[in-house]
Amino acid sequence: MTKAGIRFDVSRRSFIGGTAAFAGLPLFGVTGDKDGNAETRKPAAPWETPSGDASPAVLVRRLFLDLAGRIPRVEEAKEYVNAWDGLSRRKLVERLLASDAFADYWSMRFCDILRVKSEFPINLWPNAVYVYHRRIRLFVQNDEPWDAFMRALLSATGSNFRDAEVNFFRATARRTPEGLAESAVRTFLGEEYADLPPAEQERYAGYFRCVRMKPTREWKEEIVYLDPSDPSGLTPAAFADFLLGPARNRFAAAFVRRVDGWMLGLEKPDPAHVKIFKENGFRLKPLVRAIACSGRYGRGSVTGGFPCRRIDAEVLDDMLCDLTGAKRDYQSIAPEPFTFLPPERRSVLIEDGSITSAFLLLFGRPSRDTGRLSERHNEVTAKQRLFLYNSGQLYQRLSRITENKAFRNRAMRNVVQDLYWRFLSRPATHPEMEMLLAHFHSLPKGKEKWRFPRDVAWALLNTREFLYQH
Amino acid sequence: MAAKSVIELWLWGGPSQLETFDPKPDAPPDYNNGLKAIDTVVPGMMVHEWWPNLAKCTNLCSFIRSMTHPHFGHETATYLMQTGRNPGSGDVYPAIGAVVAMMKAKAYSGDLPPFVILTGAKGRFSEVGFLGDQYAPLVTGGNPNASKFVVEGFVSPGGLSQREIDRRFDLLARMDIFGRTGAFAEFDEAGKKARHVIEGGAARTFDLSQEPDAVRDRYGRTWIGQSLLAARRLVEYGVPYVTVNMSGWDSHKRHFETMRQRTSETDKAVAALLCDLHERKLLNQTLLWVSGEFGRTTKIDRNPPWNGGRGHYPRCFSALVAGGGFRGGCMVGESDATASRVVKRPVSPVDFLGSIYELCGIDPDGPMPNPAGKKVSVLPSGAPAGRLREIYA
Repeated sequence: MTKAGIRFDVSRRSFIGGTAAFAGLPLFGVTGDKDGNAETRKPAAPWETPSGDASPAVLVRRLFLDLAGRIPRVEEAKEYVNAWDGLSRRKLVERLLASDAFADYWSMRFCDILRVKSEFPINLWPNAVYVYHRRIRLFVQNDEPWDAFMRALLSATGSNFRDAEVNFFRATARRTPEGLAESAVRTFLGEEYADLPPAEQERYAGYFRCVRMKPTREWKEEIVYLDPSDPSGLTPAAFADFLLGPARNRFAAAFVRRVDGWMLGLEKPDPAHVKIFKENGFRLKPLVRAIACSGRYGRGSVTGGFPCRRIDAEVLDDMLCDLTGAKRDYQSIAPEPFTFLPPERRSVLIEDGSITSAFLLLFGRPSRDTGRLSERHNEVTAKQRLFLYNSGQLYQRLSRITENKAFRNRAMRNVVQDLYWRFLSRPATHPEMEMLLAHFHSLPKGKEKWRFPRDVAWALLNTREFLYQH
Repeated sequence: MAAKSVIELWLWGGPSQLETFDPKPDAPPDYNNGLKAIDTVVPGMMVHEWWPNLAKCTNLCSFIRSMTHPHFGHETATYLMQTGRNPGSGDVYPAIGAVVAMMKAKAYSGDLPPFVILTGAKGRFSEVGFLGDQYAPLVTGGNPNASKFVVEGFVSPGGLSQREIDRRFDLLARMDIFGRTGAFAEFDEAGKKARHVIEGGAARTFDLSQEPDAVRDRYGRTWIGQSLLAARRLVEYGVPYVTVNMSGWDSHKRHFETMRQRTSETDKAVAALLCDLHERKLLNQTLLWVSGEFGRTTKIDRNPPWNGGRGHYPRCFSALVAGGGFRGGCMVGESDATASRVVKRPVSPVDFLGSIYELCGIDPDGPMPNPAGKKVSVLPSGAPAGRLREIYA
């Protein structure tokens, strides 16, 4: 039912490689040697098997990033890589799907789409943000069917503090029938309202003409109700009927398009995935499971055609904090009252899109103003690279890893190996190790030798392999 | 000649027009608290008694005393004052800083980003709006009044020699072997630019220790003083748009104590900036504007819990403009006897921003490029007659 001239809600084109490669075209063939000369037709060890499938080390990292919003800890990566057998992947996928981390990370993604933000221009206000976020997290955690959740959102009335679902209506910058229709069309059909023919726009807006909001005496509380005197006789619940009736295929495809985009970098939903989604009662987890266990998802990204994507701002922030033991400092003048979050709070878990930090802004966290996927910026900019090259705080924190007891008095070979596992979830290859040890031995005695582990850590976090999900 | 750079001093929270540029010494004490106004070097152009330094250089700046708009909330008022748009369109427009940065990008070839914010973002809405990350501001963080003004990423950790830096990058080049052969062009290009900043001198712009002590003292050893000094160094370097976001003007309670402290630091810093720009012959090419999102209620609220406070008030407030094509020593518009109502020459945020754009050589009615490919102009088509042309040089 795709119509001409309608823009779908898709991510910014920040993927490298991707769909074309699945047709068997090696997009950027092969790794190079250290002088940048392509070593033609050699498997891209340590990342791929000769046939272009991802190595276990790449796969464990990919699965953790996609399903848990973090990279594996050293022992988790080692366990997977060392004990790898034909069943490990499915077992890991099951474990991750059942984890709190999955609910946290995927809630963040749905909160982007559902515009969970207390301040301008959404103005949900803090109390409502927390109840709405909790409701969305329950949807993910309990794997509620998307159609039932959609119906709950569109049928809701009541207080924004007590009836979490009504915040769907409030989370829109334009609280008019047209604005509500625009949000609903974008959220559930992934289409841009402005591109629809006028008659269709009017029809959709008609479902929302009876929605009203009024304040109460409690600060920032609002009641959403339906005006029974509205002459149209239509309600948002009737729009839900429409979505599950005539628009059923578009509704399912819109959901799958997002999941396929997040996990595979696709712009169009894979029809096979739409079928799986429908057959499994519009549930998220069976869809994610099917994709994560598929052959396509298991391809390598160097020659196998799996697309690379720069890691999300929140995930990268959490990774750097986990690796360096750093504490965050969230203070925010918005929303009011001033907000302070505990330093151990993971960035992925920040409920409110209005609460942010310089790091999250720098790495393109979405503003949640419209709920479009394109609000997330995963491009790589000079400012970001400058920060990673040159941040004093980050550099000091790196010294905290490499100067701690676990590293002292250990052979340099072991230190390097440990750093590779921590940052890249894999051991250093033989040539890498030889290169680094030779480099170490060539350094003059004193400061530079002593700083070597920190410099290796600094270099690792500046590599593509670290900064991209691949 | 169009203004080359803009410095925006944003007084977050809404400063009272009465204790800044529109004093009313003859109003009842319920309005002015018994405080006075003082004469300045421009006859008839009075300022509140808490601005003695500015009084010596009003010939370099002009006051708008008839700013007006209808929004009483911080975020909606800020959005209007920064974008010239009313909220609620469903799109978030970029702030003037991001637009100027985009429009001047071609003429600017420096290594520092074209839009710099000292030291924290506005927070309530994203300054870059729907424009891409390319024009997002560099938010410096750090404290310009600290012994070292640390700008993460730009001011590098101390103690690395050029040889050590080279060695580190050499190490990185050998280790970063994943996915070669040009696939990561964006990543590589960004890396080249970043390294260029590290090896060039651009980051030294943030090093305030290069200024003589006398200059630093002149601006005041305060956060605002050193922030405006840093802003001057940035426009001297060529950065097209610098915003200084100063908080603390939302004086619902303890209004007069707050204002006394804020104005004393700000008076010194703004006066120093004006004179310094003038002496360096930078004032003609640098446009300075000072305003908040609105002013404050004029009758002092002495009831609990306010106990001498002023509320939000957008119907009549003041702004300061200088340089970049604005004449000094002028007053635009007039308010009534208590600064509660505009009685002459109302100036809307669209008129105000339109004037700044015009002096920067940007047509306010011209198209604004945007990633969605929408047909929008820089400002909503307004009446150009409202722009402050009477004080253009």
